[in-house]
Amino acid sequence: MNTFFIALLLIGAGGLQALATFRIYSLMKTIAVSTIIGGCGVGLYDAITRIFQQVDPVVCSYEWLQMFTFSLNIDAVSAFFLVPIFAISAVAALYSFQYMHDDKRAAATANNYFFYSLLIISMALVVCASNLITFALAWELMSISSFFLVIYDVHKKSTRDAGYIYFIFTQAGALFIFAGFGFIYSYTGSFAFEAIAAIPESTKLVAFILILIGCGSKAGIMPLHVWLPYAHPAAPSHVSAVMSGVMIKMGIYGIVRFYFLMEPTSVLFGQIVISLGIISGILGVTYAIGKQDIKKMLAYSSVENIGIILLGLGIGMLGVASDNKTMAAFGFAGGLLHVFNHSIFKSLLFMGAGSVIHQAKTGASNELGGLMKTMPVTGRNLLVGAISISGLPPFNGFISEFLIYYGAIHGLSLHGASFIFSALAIIALAVIGALAGAAFTKFIGVVFLGEPRSDKAANTTEAGVLMGTALSILAASCLIIGVWPDYFVQAAFKASQAVPMISDFAPTSFMPIMTSIARTAALFLLLFILVAVLRKLLYTGKEITKSGTWGCGFTQPTVRMQYTGTSYADSMVDFFRPFIRVQKKYSGINKIFPGKTTYSSQIHDISEIGLNIFIVRPILYLISKLRWIQHGNIQLYIGYIVLAIVVMLIFI
Amino acid sequence: MDFTFSSVSFLSFLAAFALAPLFMGVILKVKAFFGGKQGPPWLIKYYTLIKLLRKGSVYSTSTTFVFKLGPIISFVTAFMLLLFFPFAGLSPVLSFHGDVVMLFYLLGLGRFFTVLAALDTASPFEGMGAAREVFFSALAEATIFVILALFFRLTGSLSFVEYFTGAQTVNLWSESAALILLVVIALFIVLLTENSRVPVDDPATHLELTMIHEVMILDHSGPDLALIEMGAFCKMLFYSAFISCLLFPFHTGTPFFNVIVFSLIMTLIYAGVGLVESITARYKMDMVPNFILTSFALVFFATILTMEFVQ
Repeated sequence: MNTFFIALLLIGAGGLQALATFRIYSLMKTIAVSTIIGGCGVGLYDAITRIFQQVDPVVCSYEWLQMFTFSLNIDAVSAFFLVPIFAISAVAALYSFQYMHDDKRAAATANNYFFYSLLIISMALVVCASNLITFALAWELMSISSFFLVIYDVHKKSTRDAGYIYFIFTQAGALFIFAGFGFIYSYTGSFAFEAIAAIPESTKLVAFILILIGCGSKAGIMPLHVWLPYAHPAAPSHVSAVMSGVMIKMGIYGIVRFYFLMEPTSVLFGQIVISLGIISGILGVTYAIGKQDIKKMLAYSSVENIGIILLGLGIGMLGVASDNKTMAAFGFAGGLLHVFNHSIFKSLLFMGAGSVIHQAKTGASNELGGLMKTMPVTGRNLLVGAISISGLPPFNGFISEFLIYYGAIHGLSLHGASFIFSALAIIALAVIGALAGAAFTKFIGVVFLGEPRSDKAANTTEAGVLMGTALSILAASCLIIGVWPDYFVQAAFKASQAVPMISDFAPTSFMPIMTSIARTAALFLLLFILVAVLRKLLYTGKEITKSGTWGCGFTQPTVRMQYTGTSYADSMVDFFRPFIRVQKKYSGINKIFPGKTTYSSQIHDISEIGLNIFIVRPILYLISKLRWIQHGNIQLYIGYIVLAIVVMLIFI
Repeated sequence: MDFTFSSVSFLSFLAAFALAPLFMGVILKVKAFFGGKQGPPWLIKYYTLIKLLRKGSVYSTSTTFVFKLGPIISFVTAFMLLLFFPFAGLSPVLSFHGDVVMLFYLLGLGRFFTVLAALDTASPFEGMGAAREVFFSALAEATIFVILALFFRLTGSLSFVEYFTGAQTVNLWSESAALILLVVIALFIVLLTENSRVPVDDPATHLELTMIHEVMILDHSGPDLALIEMGAFCKMLFYSAFISCLLFPFHTGTPFFNVIVFSLIMTLIYAGVGLVESITARYKMDMVPNFILTSFALVFFATILTMEFVQ
């Protein structure tokens, strides 16, 4: 039997056995976690060998109900996406062992492991599907299993609400994808992927936009991202790590896969994707700066990173349309590598945030602070995650952003609209990069540095050893990719060679640049160590004293005077109005002897407000007018069915 | 990556590093002249560095290891800029196609840690300075990357050495001088922003509330402060050298002549900074974004113009 299926079977077995053994809580967890990690390990090995060696392709198909064929095929793109699926799921499973500690909810935990394994399997099937039916089925399986994972804390109303919002978005998104499939099927008359390239160009655009909307709502493209800041804080942290790190990338996979299959030639594809990337990137990071709940902030940062990925893919598409090989190769490779990089640092950050919430019992950044002293392991790992996600060298985020920059800059030699779009992409990347730095200095600075802002934060202790180990594995990967990027860039490049135009683009043309970057990163680390040693020498034999922070002459500083996340973000958020709605309530000082004054500010998402006004309310109004159809008489319902069939028979 | 193991490259790099504090004295002398004072000695910054290096340090009880990382990383990142820059058109120690992107991101890393070190002290003043620093530098970052885009459009290259000594160079004597003029003005605005000079920031003000960079390093002392100061001198030198190379075609002429012209232009730029500080006051904080965005508008306009210039 093929290694790929052995991996899936192992993962599935790990999840299934949890349902049987949940009465013995720690046994259930041990078996589930170790089997899932084992399965993921096998799958990871299989995927990596597929990227770097020619292995017999897994091509298989089953007939079902005489009309549907399920078929799977692992090519370079699938294998590239399989790596983060298996790698991140394994690390998140390791983390979950100590994170899921409530043995009073053994059955719920068992369900959680079952759906967790189902989610891994369905994601693996999504990227290996090789016809429309298989893709749709795996996609739905993925949506449903992740829905059950989100509503783990089902007794809380906020979690149930988050679950419903996620469910509506995921199903509405699927509706658009299936509509796109319908368009394709109406032209080709077949579910096979191979037939898609033959449909006319104008239909390709319509089908692509429908799939873009559907996959975009899963990926979290602005303004279809509304579910992310609800679902991620509600879900258990290892689940939000996998959902934000890996599952939303399945939306990106859908966009990439159907773009590759359609082989379009119009520049419109690239322009649409770049525009969406700019909007998601800049607004996503602005909201990330503004939000004070650490998991909401990370959810918006995912929107931002999806924006960066779209910028890369859009540059690649523009390169294909304008026959610029450098641009196409670097754009796609950068976008795909960012998929992989983001899966590492975002799951690191989500699991780290989970540890913080687990220990401090709150996720409000304005109640936290000073955790670097009480939770040093979590703090150090998250510091690495924060630098990486801000795209700074010598960590991995920089490598993928550099590739995208490089592609976009080479697009500047084009003329007209393509030149403008390349220039806009560069400006957007620069602004996103700088603002991401602002967002994550806020994240680290407010949560981990300074003084604790509440007793909850002051009384924290370090999270469990396995949780720390999971974080350290991911943090180490960030540095390894940043300093030795060669293999990772090659893998991303091999996946992007699915585009026929760049299939003969030799990797030799960009490997020297990667080597230079790696060497400069190494030089930085070397100089860093040298200067650190020099500093140590300068301090030998000198007097080092401890004292309070200099209060600029004020002698009674309190913790409440410390800058909060809200105050840190204020001027930046104000700058982006009206794209961000800020609600401030200030009681003011209106007496000679001021009484108690209060101040509060809240950030509202304009996409959410917009969707509410322009889509939700009209639909609810329309439906309220049609409520009389639902009366509860079964015989009349049967009448509806008969009527519907008769009407359909007349038209078909 | 291209290593240049020539003595000239190393000498120019070492000279730049060693002279960075001296140029800062120019600013102080110009300010003193306008104030009708004699001013501090030319070597004042060297004295300051030596004084700091001989001292011990006081650390706040609020701080962690991040506070100590701040000075090291901000120094190393600024120091690395000098390794890649072709001073007076002499080839730099290191260079590769794409180094500009990496170097500006390294500066970003330096800023990231300076900001974290400030937040680590739990001081409200330092938090305020940090918030302003990240906001204003995000705006300046946009200008810088438009300039890189424009230079690629003009020269097809992505490294300092190619900009100033390659086949197609960018300076006021080249074909695209009109565009470079806009870039020079924009870069001067970025220089004032990134190096915390008047009218964006006033390092010499008496009130911590009105500072940006200076307030962020309030709690650093001794050798730590010396590292930060030296890093700041390197950064200032880098931006001034960047503008200098745009003003004069250093790829022609003899190296000796170039070094003299380069030093002259550098002195003029530092004097210009001093002049601006003497005759203008710091902007109100809410005016600063408009000031920085002016630089963005200038270079974006220049980039759009290339659609007609370069076909």
